[in-house]
Amino acid sequence: MKYALYLGCAIPIKYPGFEAATRLVCERLNVELVDLPFSCCPPPTSMKLVHYDSWLALAARNLCLAEEQGLDLLTLCSGCVNTLKEANHILKNSDSKRRRVNKFLEGHNHRFKGTIEVTHILDVLYQDTVVEKLLHEKVRDIPLRVGCHYGCHYFRPPKVMYPGELSDAESHVPVKMDHLLSIIGVEPTEYSRKFLCCGSPLGANMDQDAGYSITRQKLEYIHERNIQALSVVCPSCFEQFDMGQIVLARKTKEKRRIPTFYLTQLVGLALGLSPKDVGLDVHRIKPKKLLSGIDVA
Amino acid sequence: MTIKIWKFFQREQLFECYQCARCTGSCPAMEVAPALGPRETILICLNQGHDRVVEDEKLWLCCTCNVCEDRCPQEIPICDLLVALRNSAARRGNIPIRLGMAIELLAKTGRSMIVHQLDEMRAHHGLAPLPPAPVDEVRDILKKTGLDEVIEI
Repeated sequence: MKYALYLGCAIPIKYPGFEAATRLVCERLNVELVDLPFSCCPPPTSMKLVHYDSWLALAARNLCLAEEQGLDLLTLCSGCVNTLKEANHILKNSDSKRRRVNKFLEGHNHRFKGTIEVTHILDVLYQDTVVEKLLHEKVRDIPLRVGCHYGCHYFRPPKVMYPGELSDAESHVPVKMDHLLSIIGVEPTEYSRKFLCCGSPLGANMDQDAGYSITRQKLEYIHERNIQALSVVCPSCFEQFDMGQIVLARKTKEKRRIPTFYLTQLVGLALGLSPKDVGLDVHRIKPKKLLSGIDVA
Repeated sequence: MTIKIWKFFQREQLFECYQCARCTGSCPAMEVAPALGPRETILICLNQGHDRVVEDEKLWLCCTCNVCEDRCPQEIPICDLLVALRNSAARRGNIPIRLGMAIELLAKTGRSMIVHQLDEMRAHHGLAPLPPAPVDEVRDILKKTGLDEVIEI
């Protein structure tokens, strides 16, 4: 199993610990990763809103790099997967848009052909062969009450992101993270507003306080269910919860702090990697006490 | 330069809306900020024309979470409309300062994050330095696509 690894911007620059954890986990689970000279995806929360052609052309360039190697593209971020999956979908289905974009790219010897698929680390780890390997390699359980947060762009719009897994109402309710974590002994815990926004894009583009108000509402529902930790698959969502709780506590005087994990960090711990190996030592909200309570050190 | 909004979104779709406000009721931004909200955006487009929306900076108070479209009983592609309206707004200079800066950074560096003391941080996690981004290629592509209609690059 071999993929072109699309790191994006936030993970290798802001949260390299997620990258370290992902590389280690993929190596253990026989998922081979190839690095290519990608650029920014660019985000569905910025470039797409400002200049659609630029958004589509840069996304197409990234898709072309993977196409040229004949590899499917593996992303680690909900924003990246949204842009690249949607651009791939649009360019595969529209002759006129494909022609237009190829004109922008022709000076750099790229040509979008539509030969690959875009996937996300969660979907890759959820495959049968990887799960079997995980069950075989797992050395410990992580018995924590964990709330999963998928990140809106990971699964919306459902008709583009998961066309084969639509509900009767033609929507999509993701479950893979909850299922995957239950394999490593986690107790996935439901909470209200699980599938709503973390607040990050509103904060990044317009109004940080308003963005954090959304985070605060979500956290209230998370506390209500006595959730011990959060699991995310997106660096922007991560920052919103990790940094967000510190910022919010200045105002709200809230004492409770919930550590946030990136998915492959939890999987890494179950595979016997140390908290430092998977980069947990640099989180703002330290999971140290929580982990020592379950004998992970 | 302006763009043709109705090339991105079929204008007739506006008439599908019966103002049930399920979109706005689901909107996380509406709850915490004086956003326009999808229902009102559609109503203003119908009654007063889309120019009114495009000039309003409240248009940008949005999480781009796509819940509105997901829950619309009439299956109106609301997000296509919102993307088109914002593309048009940006061309007229209605663009939030933070967002404009983010786009500038992307065009200049090929990445949307500031690189600062990166090698040390990556070495701490046992990772090799990050190869430089293909800045020249990205910039050239963005020149061809006409990003400087919106932001000087």
